[in-house]
Amino acid sequence: MNLTINGKTMTVDIEGDTPLLWALRDELGLTGTKFGCGKALCGACTVHIDGQPVRSCSVPISAAVGKQISTIEGLNDPTSAAVQKAWVENHVPQCGYCQSGQIMSAVALLREKKQPTDSDIDAAMSGNICRCGTYQRIKAAIKQAAGSLT
Amino acid sequence: MESSRRELIKTTTLALGGLVVGFYVPEKGSSPAWAQGAVPKAPPAPNAFIRIASDESITIFINKLEMGQGVNTSMAQLIAEELECDWQKIQSVSAPVDPVYNHTMMGIQMTGGSTSLASSWEQHRLLGANMREMLRQAAAEVWKVPLDSCQAQKGTIVHTQKGQLTYGQLAEAASRMPLPTRESITLKAAAAYQVIGQSKARVDAADKVNGKAIFGLDVKLPGMLHAIVLHPPFAGAHIKSVDDKKAKATAGVIDVVRMKDRVAVLAKNTFAAIKGRDALAVTWDKKGTDASSSSFLAAFQKAAKGDAPIAETRGLGEKPLLKAKRTIEAEYVLPFLAHAAMEPLNVTINFDGKTCEMWSGHQMPGIDTMRAAQILGIDPSAVTAHTTYVGGSFGRRASKDCDYVAVAAELAKLVKKPLKVTWTREDDMRGGYYRPMALHRVRVGLKDKNLLAWDHRVVCQSIMKGTPFEAMMIKGGIEEAAVEGIAHTPYAFENFRCTQNLVDTPMTTLWWRSVGNTHTAYVMETMIDELAHAFEQDPFVLRRQLLAASPRHLAVLDLLEERSGWKTRDKSGPHAFGVALHQSFGSVVGHVVMVSIVDKMPRVHKVWSAVHCGQVVNPEQAKTQVEGSIVFGLSAALYQEIAVEKGRVQTGNFDTYPVMRIDEMPVVDVAFVASTDAPSGLGEPAVPPIAPAVANAYFALSKKRLRTLPFSKSIQV
Repeated sequence: MNLTINGKTMTVDIEGDTPLLWALRDELGLTGTKFGCGKALCGACTVHIDGQPVRSCSVPISAAVGKQISTIEGLNDPTSAAVQKAWVENHVPQCGYCQSGQIMSAVALLREKKQPTDSDIDAAMSGNICRCGTYQRIKAAIKQAAGSLT
Repeated sequence: MESSRRELIKTTTLALGGLVVGFYVPEKGSSPAWAQGAVPKAPPAPNAFIRIASDESITIFINKLEMGQGVNTSMAQLIAEELECDWQKIQSVSAPVDPVYNHTMMGIQMTGGSTSLASSWEQHRLLGANMREMLRQAAAEVWKVPLDSCQAQKGTIVHTQKGQLTYGQLAEAASRMPLPTRESITLKAAAAYQVIGQSKARVDAADKVNGKAIFGLDVKLPGMLHAIVLHPPFAGAHIKSVDDKKAKATAGVIDVVRMKDRVAVLAKNTFAAIKGRDALAVTWDKKGTDASSSSFLAAFQKAAKGDAPIAETRGLGEKPLLKAKRTIEAEYVLPFLAHAAMEPLNVTINFDGKTCEMWSGHQMPGIDTMRAAQILGIDPSAVTAHTTYVGGSFGRRASKDCDYVAVAAELAKLVKKPLKVTWTREDDMRGGYYRPMALHRVRVGLKDKNLLAWDHRVVCQSIMKGTPFEAMMIKGGIEEAAVEGIAHTPYAFENFRCTQNLVDTPMTTLWWRSVGNTHTAYVMETMIDELAHAFEQDPFVLRRQLLAASPRHLAVLDLLEERSGWKTRDKSGPHAFGVALHQSFGSVVGHVVMVSIVDKMPRVHKVWSAVHCGQVVNPEQAKTQVEGSIVFGLSAALYQEIAVEKGRVQTGNFDTYPVMRIDEMPVVDVAFVASTDAPSGLGEPAVPPIAPAVANAYFALSKKRLRTLPFSKSIQV
């Protein structure tokens, strides 16, 4: 099966019902996308499919064929760079495990809304759990990134 | 420096073309990797912790697990302060297993008890100072000038006539210099700090925002199989029969392996292994047990009525209760809690029949090494444990019997191929080692505005029983960790008694971020609030009276009252305010919270935190620990409970074990009491006071006391 990931065509020889998460992690070595719950409850596995943030643990690869898949490893545009910079400057990551998913959700938000309000941020980010409790800094980092992009 | 050690360094130096100096090579055999139980002599040779390369890069070997608390940065700051190096050149890596990395207080290689900075405070500054002195000596020798004329400055040694040599240029020669004596080193006074007290960016931040950081679950070995294990559904369950036909026929499954009371499915990827496990038909020797949340409660309540050993008595103990005009009696019930770190448990392991390598977020790597060796039937020196980044721990990775390492080793012994053993979220939650359930009974006797006596019973399950820590941690039937914060409370109660029952259940227990303080502070701080209401007294005023002899507590109360504007707080709106204060791990933390009620539940809008933790090494990072502790403590207080029915843990994933999300995040304002005292803990101490502060604010709004946790259980019934 062929998948388009970060602009490249990649081939996996596994069952079509395999969640995209496990294809990325176990077959393609893209381990920046994390396993947290397996049930789309925590957001650690968030990737973009055709620009939309989705939980890759709950998308079978058969449904991702022919679509543009982006992972944390493929981020390379000014919005992503602004988000990553703001994440570092605001001391966001602690253990860091959920942060790939948080960043994928944040980048998708900022591409959609240049100046998100607090409630926009809450709505876009409430699917991503952080056990270290970095939420306050995530909010600040999203606002900083938004500011730096105008 | 002993000759064999010097020889090794020389060899390493030569092997790398003279580029690397001071890379300490653990000597298997002569310096056994499993030698745990010895407090290292301070100071160890700096080359065990610091490597300076000819490209001027400085690698710090961190002998603590970076689990989010920031040790890779803050501990490097301690070294950098004295080393006089360029901070930008520093990178941190996890130390291998060796007694030289043992905890300076605990005597084993471990992370825990909020002690990383406290226990490294002198050792790491000395390491930096020793390395700096050896670099100065090397320069003095090269230039043939007096040592006094050589100054260390930002990664170079400078001399007014000779010019400068970089640390990279001097590193090789420095490695041959004698270790300075302790007496010859004067550590900087606080006024001279240039690195300590600075909010340096985390050294691991870049790799944690681009997906490059390698966590245990990300380790990949050539030819590695992915294992998912069917664990026993309840304590004491034994396998009666296994039908693995369907599992073996599942696409991607390579093998099914019967373990003792477990069945492992090996596959080419994790999902195939999960599907294979779902296809197993396993019958167990019994369907379940009588153990349940309600049976535990009944057993605890029964114990609370019986006799109990005394943890502490003051004055006349509980006796003046008989003379009380008014008695407040309360029973509190706090549930079992799971750590639920973001990264589910996992170990990657490769055992070839003779030697073993394993990768995981090892919080006690030496103990994990010993346990794996014991199971594999090999010498511990044949086991190499690699410590990776870990997606949180909160105590879980310091498993007292190395449970998840043991499962991986047992399987590796049977399979003898490279394996990654992954726990699903449900495995992690249900195979948990839990914060023990606790029941408190408190009787407080009042007469007018006087506290006559305080009688406090704690009923709890032991954490330490059956572990190597039992002898140290359970004395006279009292487990200190179950009564910490109540027995020996700094509140100056004249007549006081604290008693304790330890009740066994089939549940496995473990330290959970702030250990016993998680339940003791809740009860103590809500009762103090109740007392303030009974006395019609401001809760700050009452606490100050009872803490008159505790200057750290008073300093925190002063700072907290000022920051939160407590005296001028707006009492007219839909909000109420609550306060709580607690000392743990050497630090005192107080929170004031602003709360309203949304859909019956308390909603926390703002938290002001005041902290006394001695010298703050990295203020911004210290704040993150407080913010994170608030989310951790509040998530538990609001929502979390491990529910048990018929012996089986019902709670399985984040739908039944909710974690606070960003839309519930209060604004958190953290302030530190200025101090140059040695640092005390900060990974845990901000957890205990958050739940009682919220409960106190909720009382102000509702006139209801929340005595059963989580709040959702008390409120939504």
